[in-house]
Amino acid sequence: MEAKKINSRIGLLQVVILALNVISVMGISIFIYRTIEKIRRVYAAREFLNGIQAIVWYPYAKIWLCALLLLLLTLSMIIRDRLFPNNNKVILTSLVADFFLCFMIIILLNFNYNGILLLVFSNVIMYVKNGKSRYILAAVAIGSFILADYELLSISYRLYSIQDYISYYSASVQQYLLSIYNILVSLNVIVFVVYCVNIINEQQGNLDEIHGLNEKLQEVNEQLQKYSQMAEKMAETRERNRLAREIHDTLGHTLTGIAAGIDACLTMIGTSPEQTKKQLELISKVTRDGIKDIRRSVSELRPDALERFSLEYAINKMVTDINAVSETRIYFDCRVQNLKFDEDEENAIYRVVQEGITNAMRHGHAKEIWITMKRENQDILIQIKDNGIGCKEMKNGFGTKHMKERIKMLSGVVTFDGSDGFIVNARIPIRRGETYD
Amino acid sequence: MGKWRKRLCMSVFLGALIAAALIYRDQHKKIVLEFGMFTGSNWDVASANSFKIIDKAVKCFEESHPNVKIHYYSGIAKEDYSEWCARKLLEGKMPDVFMVLDSDFDKFTSLGVMKDLDVLMAGDHAFHKEDFFSTALNTGRRDGRQYALPYETVPTLMFVNKSLLAKESIQMPKEDWTWEDMYEICRKVTKDTDKDGLLDQFGTYNYSWRDAFYTSGGKLYDERQDQLSFTDSRVLDAIKYIKRLNDLNQGQSVTQEDFNEGGVAFMPLTFAEYRTYKTYPYRIKKYTRFQWDCITFPAGREGENISKVDALLMGINSKTKHERLAWEFLKQLTYTEEMQMDVFLYSQGVPALKSVASSKEGANIIQEDMDEGEQVISSTLLCNVIENGIIEPRLLQYQQVMNLADGEVSKILQENKNVDSSMKIFQRMISKYLQQQK
Repeated sequence: MEAKKINSRIGLLQVVILALNVISVMGISIFIYRTIEKIRRVYAAREFLNGIQAIVWYPYAKIWLCALLLLLLTLSMIIRDRLFPNNNKVILTSLVADFFLCFMIIILLNFNYNGILLLVFSNVIMYVKNGKSRYILAAVAIGSFILADYELLSISYRLYSIQDYISYYSASVQQYLLSIYNILVSLNVIVFVVYCVNIINEQQGNLDEIHGLNEKLQEVNEQLQKYSQMAEKMAETRERNRLAREIHDTLGHTLTGIAAGIDACLTMIGTSPEQTKKQLELISKVTRDGIKDIRRSVSELRPDALERFSLEYAINKMVTDINAVSETRIYFDCRVQNLKFDEDEENAIYRVVQEGITNAMRHGHAKEIWITMKRENQDILIQIKDNGIGCKEMKNGFGTKHMKERIKMLSGVVTFDGSDGFIVNARIPIRRGETYD
Repeated sequence: MGKWRKRLCMSVFLGALIAAALIYRDQHKKIVLEFGMFTGSNWDVASANSFKIIDKAVKCFEESHPNVKIHYYSGIAKEDYSEWCARKLLEGKMPDVFMVLDSDFDKFTSLGVMKDLDVLMAGDHAFHKEDFFSTALNTGRRDGRQYALPYETVPTLMFVNKSLLAKESIQMPKEDWTWEDMYEICRKVTKDTDKDGLLDQFGTYNYSWRDAFYTSGGKLYDERQDQLSFTDSRVLDAIKYIKRLNDLNQGQSVTQEDFNEGGVAFMPLTFAEYRTYKTYPYRIKKYTRFQWDCITFPAGREGENISKVDALLMGINSKTKHERLAWEFLKQLTYTEEMQMDVFLYSQGVPALKSVASSKEGANIIQEDMDEGEQVISSTLLCNVIENGIIEPRLLQYQQVMNLADGEVSKILQENKNVDSSMKIFQRMISKYLQQQK
């Protein structure tokens, strides 16, 4: 809204500058013609010649020529602003054309009025946004403005002066004319300055907007992080509740059943060992059912990928996902065929790899991570190596602690080496053939 | 975009077609060459034939250039001509070829109105500037460039009242006479004949310090330094000489009346006046009561028998559209023997071309007009006077300073002031003035 307002104001100022210049240029050329006619009418031509330094050749034709050049200048502005506002080639060509048109007008007026250059500069400022070319253009502009000065050029060239024509009139009229001339010149400069200030304002406005948006983005980001933390906490709580419920529902139920069954066995064992055996078989079945139930509830805690796919596929998916979203390159080399273990083993391996990658990225700032998995006798060897900053002294961070615990649960060992990048070596014995069933 | 391109091509094509048509029409239209001139004589003498020469030149030129028409305004008097030119100039309708008055030449060249003829002269192999009197040619020069060509020249001569000299039994002076010769004659002539206590016979009338200075061998104007030196010994000599001549009159001033009555022996006179009033029909108008003739000016100790030379100049408008034709026409007027001979025939000056001025035919024309038995200035003498004559710079400043000097000299004569000290003071004032003008 604000930008639109400034834009329309800049457009208006441009039209004002154009109008002022049209008035000045046409005013000067018509004034000179009228003065010459007046001089001719009163037969004062020869005396007038004595007071001037140069002749205005063809004053009448000059009026039309000035009008034509101004028309071309206006046309060029319309073509640029209205017809091809986004065509860089047209803009550049028309700006150069403007410059030449202006210089022709200035030469026609014998450097008595160089304010029209401001019109060109105002257009240049508007369109040339590129930093370097802007400085060059500014230098050209200032240079030409100084060079096109009447006082400077009239030293070495034969130029007519508007002052000579003004001084033909009586003193009171002279004052009048001079003040009109000076007002027009100053007004042009003032409008130009106002225009420049507006352009600067507009660009300042753009910058402010960008700053504001950035701040908002930061805020939203922080909020998102808070949300995600909260969501994590909530999930954790929900999970804990579910676990509690599961334990209560399945394990509690089973254990209660087992306890009751064993109590019955205790009373029966003296009187009816046969009945007791039957009862114990029943308890065994209940226990197995309970294990099954626990396994089911545990299985609900498994990572989504593992739930649906094989371990190899799940790790590959994780690797490609990270490769896709981060700049870190991860290379996964799996030399174990048929990577199929028990669920808790798969879980542990998956988590260790996940943890290793997270650590390498978060703490080591690694650019490349190599993951190798191979088999040695009954053991599976996992190595996670990165080219990050490593660490000289091992700290018992959360990540490594978890990793250690997980592997310990599977009776494996894990070693860390932070001297060159960071290397995690894990050895996990596999329970082949060992099942619960 | 394609549509736009098509339209652009079409409009460019149409524009080219129109331009071609206009050029074709222009080429087949008769070219009109404007000529600016004034009626009457440049030398302020009566003249009845001012159009005759121009009409003839125009006819000749139009015959040899069938596509060209020369147009000129008739009836502009000399005193209106300067204003007429200025008006035309301001209007942007300056004629292609025009006569330039002495008073305009400096202003016009500085305004860039006059075409620099050097290039045209160098490019034309049929043109040799040596054919002109160098003095006459130099009147059209400024800042080392030729801006105008002389059409006719007029030297100043010394009028001698032969009857008066005969009455006082004084011999007619020779061509190489000196200041002292003239002073001697003036001293003898100056007297009170009717014994009424007032002088009624005088030596000179209108003979100024400038005339004396030209023959003193000195040079007043230094072109390189743009300064005038009035304290030069020869300037002082000239003024002192004039003062001596003036002292003979015992404070009485000589008038035109005295001269017309036949009571003055010498008076400077232009060649144009000489020709006009020596020949029919104007002979009966002036100086009828005595016999008279013209000779050279008396020479100073270091100088020669020379005098001021004027020339009527013609130039080309620097903005002319027909440069070649304008040059051809200017040459037709100033550089053809036939036209220059017409100057002898119909005008009062001397042709600017040396060959014509010194020709026998020219001498015959002058002789024809004279009364029988009248002695005519020999053409060799005439050519000498012109070729070695003095041309005054046409700079406005120079003219202003010389006018001031005239005033100063007349003050010295009237108030009988000391020449050396007065001129020293005057020099200081002038130097300051010229310094400011730079």
